[in-house]
Amino acid sequence: MVGREYDLVGNPLGAVRSTFEKAIEGQADPPLLIDGKDWGSTQLFRQFLIDQPSALSQIPILDRTSLPHLQPNTLVRYRGMIQDMLGNEFYVGVHKDAGGAWTTNKFTDVSHIPFGTLSENTRIWERRLLYCVPVPGQNIWAESYSESVASTRSNVTTLHGEKRPREDCADMDFQASDQDFQGSTSAKKMRENMHSPQLSRHEEYILEGSTPNSDMVPNFDIKSLSCLVKIYDTPESELKLNDVFEFVGILTFDPKLAAEDDTCDELCEDALVHLPPSKVPRLHCIVHRKLAIHDFLSASLTLEPKSSLVKGVRESLLGHLTSVLGNDDLAAQFMLLHLLSGVHTRVGLVAVGKLSLNLTCFSKETLTVFGNRIKVAIENLVPFTMCMPLTIDHLNSASLAPAKDYQTNRLVSGPLQLSDGTHLTVDETQLQTGTLNSVGVENLRLLKTLLESQKVDYDFKYYKMEMAADAQVLILSEGKSNILPADVALPFHPQSPGVSEYMDMEALKAWRCYLATFRSLQHSIDSDMQKIVEDDLVAARRSDRSLGSSDFSRLLTMARLVSMSFGETCLTIEHWQMVMELERLRRERSNQPK
Amino acid sequence: MDSGRADFTRDVEIAKDFLSNFADLHGEAKYIGLLQDVANRKTKAIEIDIEDLFNYKDLDEEFVRRVTENTRRYIGIFAEAIDVLMPEPTEAFPDDDHDILMTQRTEEEPDGTEKVDSKQRMPPEIKRFYEVYIKASSKVQPFTIREVKASNIGHLVKISGIVTRCSDVKPLMQVAVYTCEECGFEIYQEVTARVFMPLFECPSSRCRTNNAKGNLILQLRASKFLKFQEAKMQELAEHVPKGHIPRTMSVHLRGELTRKVAPGDVVELSGIFLPIPYTGFKAMRAGLVADTYLEVMSVSHFKKKYEDYELEGDEEEKIARLAEDGDIYNKLSRSLAPEIYGHEDIKKALLLLLVGAPHRTLKDGMKIRGDLHICLMGDPGVAKSQLLKHIINVAPRGVYTTGKGSSGVGLTAAVQRDPVTSEMVLEGGALVLADMGICAIDEFDKMDDSDRTAIHEVMEQQTVSIAKAGITTSLNARTAVLAAANPAWGRYDMRRTPAENINLPPALLSRFDLMWLILDRADMDTDLELARHVVYVHQNKESPALGFTPLEPSLLRAYISAARKVSPSVPRELEEYIATAYSSIRQEEARSNTPHSYTTIRTLLSILRISAALARLRFSETVAQSDVDEALRLMQMSKFSLYSDDRQKSGLDAISDIYSILRDEAARTNKMDVSYAHALNWISRKGYSEAQLKECLEEYAALNVWQIHPNTFDIRFIDA
Repeated sequence: MVGREYDLVGNPLGAVRSTFEKAIEGQADPPLLIDGKDWGSTQLFRQFLIDQPSALSQIPILDRTSLPHLQPNTLVRYRGMIQDMLGNEFYVGVHKDAGGAWTTNKFTDVSHIPFGTLSENTRIWERRLLYCVPVPGQNIWAESYSESVASTRSNVTTLHGEKRPREDCADMDFQASDQDFQGSTSAKKMRENMHSPQLSRHEEYILEGSTPNSDMVPNFDIKSLSCLVKIYDTPESELKLNDVFEFVGILTFDPKLAAEDDTCDELCEDALVHLPPSKVPRLHCIVHRKLAIHDFLSASLTLEPKSSLVKGVRESLLGHLTSVLGNDDLAAQFMLLHLLSGVHTRVGLVAVGKLSLNLTCFSKETLTVFGNRIKVAIENLVPFTMCMPLTIDHLNSASLAPAKDYQTNRLVSGPLQLSDGTHLTVDETQLQTGTLNSVGVENLRLLKTLLESQKVDYDFKYYKMEMAADAQVLILSEGKSNILPADVALPFHPQSPGVSEYMDMEALKAWRCYLATFRSLQHSIDSDMQKIVEDDLVAARRSDRSLGSSDFSRLLTMARLVSMSFGETCLTIEHWQMVMELERLRRERSNQPK
Repeated sequence: MDSGRADFTRDVEIAKDFLSNFADLHGEAKYIGLLQDVANRKTKAIEIDIEDLFNYKDLDEEFVRRVTENTRRYIGIFAEAIDVLMPEPTEAFPDDDHDILMTQRTEEEPDGTEKVDSKQRMPPEIKRFYEVYIKASSKVQPFTIREVKASNIGHLVKISGIVTRCSDVKPLMQVAVYTCEECGFEIYQEVTARVFMPLFECPSSRCRTNNAKGNLILQLRASKFLKFQEAKMQELAEHVPKGHIPRTMSVHLRGELTRKVAPGDVVELSGIFLPIPYTGFKAMRAGLVADTYLEVMSVSHFKKKYEDYELEGDEEEKIARLAEDGDIYNKLSRSLAPEIYGHEDIKKALLLLLVGAPHRTLKDGMKIRGDLHICLMGDPGVAKSQLLKHIINVAPRGVYTTGKGSSGVGLTAAVQRDPVTSEMVLEGGALVLADMGICAIDEFDKMDDSDRTAIHEVMEQQTVSIAKAGITTSLNARTAVLAAANPAWGRYDMRRTPAENINLPPALLSRFDLMWLILDRADMDTDLELARHVVYVHQNKESPALGFTPLEPSLLRAYISAARKVSPSVPRELEEYIATAYSSIRQEEARSNTPHSYTTIRTLLSILRISAALARLRFSETVAQSDVDEALRLMQMSKFSLYSDDRQKSGLDAISDIYSILRDEAARTNKMDVSYAHALNWISRKGYSEAQLKECLEEYAALNVWQIHPNTFDIRFIDA
């Protein structure tokens, strides 16, 4: 074990080089390593992160505020969504210097040796370039570090102590808190200072939850920092577009080079030209880990399925939703199922597990009262949310789907480029009559396919490419939306304007954790239950011929979600009956004249 | 490097030997002939096929390997060899500037005793009036752009992709020629990169000895330029793994290969994968990163047509095995849209649509189409659209469009003004784009009538005629139309007649060879089946097992393309049979007081087309009677899907109807024996099921009307 021989955080390149030297020691000339395989440097860092749970927190996070304080060629971590893939980059992996010794350039941008022509003394290796951005629609509370900072101020210390042993055994568990951070660099202090004012504002905002404030939409732009991540030795299939990852790697960022501008002729549209290193830092990734929604919550809480705690959390969340929705109990029930939904499998053309919700019967008045309140409530519960007002102008002008720009060779992101699990609220009440142009028709078609099959067509000009999506879509409309066919359409009947309710942080945390945990629960239906379900479905179809396979599918999805909302992994007859009852109430309400 | 140099001189000899001695399949010296053409200025490009190198008997494989792995160097070696071998021109051709310059240069050369200077020696490049390309073997499967790795640098690779951008064609300096003001010598400078440093001081020995520092003037007319074009390639959608972005690659086209590609073209390129070392300032900034490009050696356009489909690897063998296997018709049709449950006859019809019948051109120039047109009509939510989309995916060339979204212009062709040149240009619509393929039109009923008339011509004449803005022309639209429509009132209304429900004009209806009505009937069994299916999907996260393994779409495509190469004909002895069948349909229609169908001569052609498509599936050159029977059955089934309700209303119950069918058939053939298979065929043509046949057989056997063979169920009438 190499141990702490090197300062892995402060001088990772030194560690990389010395392992390389060790690896080629005694090998023939040219050494066998020249084929580009890793020689154990990645292993070294991996080991470092596993052995010490606190190691991760020692690694500073890269964002807009921390960037000026970070030293180039140090280890940093970055959380983001893969927005674009820029293809391969070829670089001189190893070369022989004047003294006849082989040195490596892995994990570096610039070498001090001039690039000669290809010769016996150089080997070209390749790495992949990923363009990453902060997750679109990320809410302020979900920015993990601010959450961690918050935890230092609240009383989770004891909880954290309990958590510790678990982390030791879990490999690659990155969820250490900033609390363990000992090496208090000035940069770190700086960051805490910078976060504090924002955090307090954030807390206020939660307390004011009932007074809607449209200015409080997540303003991640202030701190958003895109990053060019260079990936080494990883199979292509591991990193996919729109996946959210945490990358740990070496930062190279040299503002000095920024001043140079480059003259480039017509077709030399190297994507990198548009991403100058002065604006976009480079991260040479050593270790990466895919993040789930759970990773954006404070690590202090876990809910075990089937525990009695679950029922309590469910009840309180349902109560919260009911009060947000003006004591409309049925709407709250469906909202809960909606928030738990997510595509869990795709069979042929059908995305199983989605449950988009269309709340109808919104008028101008109810919208002013409830529209923002629903929005804020969802923002507080789900880490990634997006809002889309549906107006003729917006539809006719915006390009919702990502499109390839061949001038810059970049994928231009659109509002529909979402990471899995993002919540999308579409406000159809603002739609007026008008004429849609071809862009508008195309945009509506995109929204429709997103709702129907959870897929988005990315426009590559010469062809479209279908990308699988997993977005929870909520539609607010006056009448049942015909242009955006949701799975469930429910007339919204608020009883009272609702009272402003005090939300305490602990409950909020529990709800977030509840939603994140049970979304991904495994679920099954045993054979006896299957029989009952089949018979009920057939009976339902006999009484109403208009029921089709999509309705059956929706009922089963609801059954699964109801069951999961109780933390159960197997469908019971009670839950199935609850689904049928919910469906009956919904139909009853839909059919009754307004 | 000395030994390397020696190797190269040896390789020049090998190249010379190959070029002068290689004989193609017809025994002709391919390359010598080519060189003669070049000498006569008929052509400029000399394309050396790696395939020929492989096949050349005296060649060691090491040489081929060296050529593919260090291609750029070997282009020079072949050029050197060609310089030596180049024959004298056998035909006279007018001298151009270049030739005049060359003669002057060669005249001057002998008196130059101070030729030691490399800059003053004429580089061989300037004398060459040809270009050498080395083309990758056509047998090698092309790479996708993603598969080209660092290890391929310098190698000859073949890639396929779509062209996304093209630059203008620009001149690229290959040899810069200067004249010196002092000594008057021509100075040559070979340019190998895109950027070069011009010479300022005369390097000739005369100037140097005189210390004159002769001023050099670049002579553009004397320099040698090459046409040069840069383009961008992108991976094809089908080559991109799920969840990834297509990769791009820049390609350089030179000389004769310029202007061969345009944005949007799907091409296969072979070329040398090379790095561009950054120079100057950029090198400092970019450090060790290198851009790469493909130096193109050959361009071939991709055609997505059945006729050009090339069988890959073991596909031929697989097809042969499938063809031997008897049940190919069922097997193939089941593999179409395997996720969609049931609808066997519709799938069979769709399979025949994919296969099609051969086009016929009569002596007087009249054309009879071979493409089958099918219309699927049915209640909403019976997977019509899914069927359509699946067929488009299987077909190598297919266009999917919806009736509502496409105007008549969008379907046929439009005359548009080019924004740049403001010229009128003709742009093909969906039907023209689907030429030699399949055009699927969804929501056919929701189309405006005026738009629908545009389809009439396409469906029978298979052309699109345009008379707009001074352009009168007709475009080919040899496409099979697959339409999907909802009944007139959205759902099929049982209280109204089928004709009212279908609501398409007879002129259009008669153009469809087959027409299917898919009804969502209230039926306990199908409801349960549906519920089971949905529950299964939710429980097991996959579709239920199909009970068979569907064939791969690629194999399906290969089989169909192989079948389409066959062009079956109707033997004389079957003509009578078909004529009888046709006239009986006509008579039946005349008998009924409410004719639902419009049996015209087009129906006869349809029968022939379907039979021919069936024969194609068997790879048979002649249509058999079984093909005609199956064609009639399909037509009858399609009719009964529309009119089955009337039949129930008619007085005869199913059992006695079956009996009368069998009795009539037996009487017609004058036989007392009817085999079970035949009986089944006859009754299913009338729309009855096998279960009903069995019931009938039992019932009438009990009445001693016939005897049933206990094992084979063959029928023997008892003479009374």
